[in-house]
Amino acid sequence: MTEVSIERLTKTFGSARAVDGISIRIADGEFISLLGPSGCGKTTTLKMIAGFEEASEGAIRFDGKDVVNVPAEKRDIGMVFQNYALFPHMTVDQNLAFGLEMRKIAKPEMLSRIAKVLDMVQLGGYSDRYPNQLSGGQQQRVALARALVIEPKILLLDEPLANLDAKLREEMRVFIRDLQRRVGITTVYVTHDQAEAMTMSDRVVVMFGGRIAQIGAPSDIYERPENLEVAQFVGQVNLVRGTILGGTITGPAGAGKSRVASVFGDVAVDSRADHAPGTAVTLSLRPEAIELKPAGQGGAQGKVMARYYSGSIIDYRIALDSSETLHVQTFPNIRIAEGDRVSVHAPADGFWLLGAAQ
Amino acid sequence: MKRPVLTLYCLLVYAFLLAPILVVVGASFNAGNFLTFPPQGLSLRWYVTFFHNDVFMRAIRTSLWVAAVATVISGTIGTMAALYYVQHAGRWKEAVRIAMLAPLLLPEVLTAIALLFFVYAIGIGTTTMIGMVVGHVLITLPFVFINVSASLESFDPSWDMAARSLGAGRLTRFRRIMLPLIKPGVIGGALFAFIISFDTFTISFMLKGIGTSTLPIQLFDYLRTNFTPEAAAVSTVSIVLTLVVVIVSEKVLGLRIHRF
Repeated sequence: MTEVSIERLTKTFGSARAVDGISIRIADGEFISLLGPSGCGKTTTLKMIAGFEEASEGAIRFDGKDVVNVPAEKRDIGMVFQNYALFPHMTVDQNLAFGLEMRKIAKPEMLSRIAKVLDMVQLGGYSDRYPNQLSGGQQQRVALARALVIEPKILLLDEPLANLDAKLREEMRVFIRDLQRRVGITTVYVTHDQAEAMTMSDRVVVMFGGRIAQIGAPSDIYERPENLEVAQFVGQVNLVRGTILGGTITGPAGAGKSRVASVFGDVAVDSRADHAPGTAVTLSLRPEAIELKPAGQGGAQGKVMARYYSGSIIDYRIALDSSETLHVQTFPNIRIAEGDRVSVHAPADGFWLLGAAQ
Repeated sequence: MKRPVLTLYCLLVYAFLLAPILVVVGASFNAGNFLTFPPQGLSLRWYVTFFHNDVFMRAIRTSLWVAAVATVISGTIGTMAALYYVQHAGRWKEAVRIAMLAPLLLPEVLTAIALLFFVYAIGIGTTTMIGMVVGHVLITLPFVFINVSASLESFDPSWDMAARSLGAGRLTRFRRIMLPLIKPGVIGGALFAFIISFDTFTISFMLKGIGTSTLPIQLFDYLRTNFTPEAAAVSTVSIVLTLVVVIVSEKVLGLRIHRF
């Protein structure tokens, strides 16, 4: 049961600041993801929490106690690596026993703990296999079991699903998430895959260039991105130009909204900050929020440039008559073909005001 | 035999490599007084003579002793050097490699002469075996280094990190994770070291202690004045000894490489 507090954590390599003064408070039992492109400092942050990298500045507290000067082997963490890092010369049992031996756990307890954890990861009966006799997914579960069997204070995962194929990856997401809930262990998960971060985490930390761009619940990050960079990283997004109109919006539904004139008419758009009337702004519009109808049914008018069928959804590229291009995702039950003219409707709650236009 | 030409070629290469050995082994069972092949009658008499020859017995003991000591020292230093080379050398990597392989590149006789000057300059001289052991360590070091660093290159650093995260200190990690995983390289290197030390002539010839002699030198001495099949018996025994060392290490310590 551990609360982790990261305070102004910095890591410099020469003059480069890989991690630049980040602060995160992780609640007991929380599942936090560090999400960002490669080189954003997420792995370096994880390694500092684990103790494999020395922090240049700042503090890392486990339940209020600064662990910056505690070596990795004394931090009591469980770590899962991208390539699993199972000891190839040891059986599954021996891999799991290793951490318990380091803790001088008595043999009977050791055996019962190993059996319990193997059962939890659904690998009972695999005790005597060597890692090279297991599939990728099984190895991943052994790695998870090895990290959990020592009952660490926190669980750290470094892109653990990156080496698995797509179907297995989706299964493992759910598996890891459920397991984490059941065990109730504080977890930090590093990934560059936004879908993974969204489905698994209580909160997502989006990082760019060693800094935190936004911390929030997955829905927060997706629906109310702090800036264009975040919006583009966590999903596909259309950018729509607009101008702030004067006048206030009244009523509880209008709180925090701005009236914006755009190609879709006047819309009341959610925003974080107020802008003066007349300001040119950029709105984001998620592709799945847009509705396509046959031409002549109101809304903005345009033409279908391309259509990509992918089973559960269809992707459309629409060229609006106002010369903007839109990316639209719909369920495959509408019959609109390439070259068709269409009416494009966007509900007000599909928009988000990103900020003043650049 | 799908490829008769290739098969024939391989057989010829083996014949070329092994024929001299077969000749020596065959000649050692000679019943006659001269080193001839084919042997004139079969007999073990020259083995009996050899095992009763104190000079040869002393030389073979010296050879085994020097080879064992040199192997232990060379194995230890070579492994440590390989560890440094693979994990910490950074931009000095190439320089470290060349320095470690230098004894292979220099003619052995130069190394031997330089060492001879050196041991006298620092006052050790050749009254003890120290100079010779140092020489043997020097020429066997590259073989340990090459073998161990090759197996270290395939050692995944995340194994070490995983062991750390599980609470293992430095020594435990080396003993329980790294050493078992690089063992084939260490043992392979040590075997090379042993065989090369047991076999070397030049270094031993220059640096041997006064009054002592290794088997190759003793054999050379012997052949200058004698030409009996005893020389073949000595050679055969030394071949067998080498094979025994290889097979025993393979069985006892394991040369098998883990397949990941």
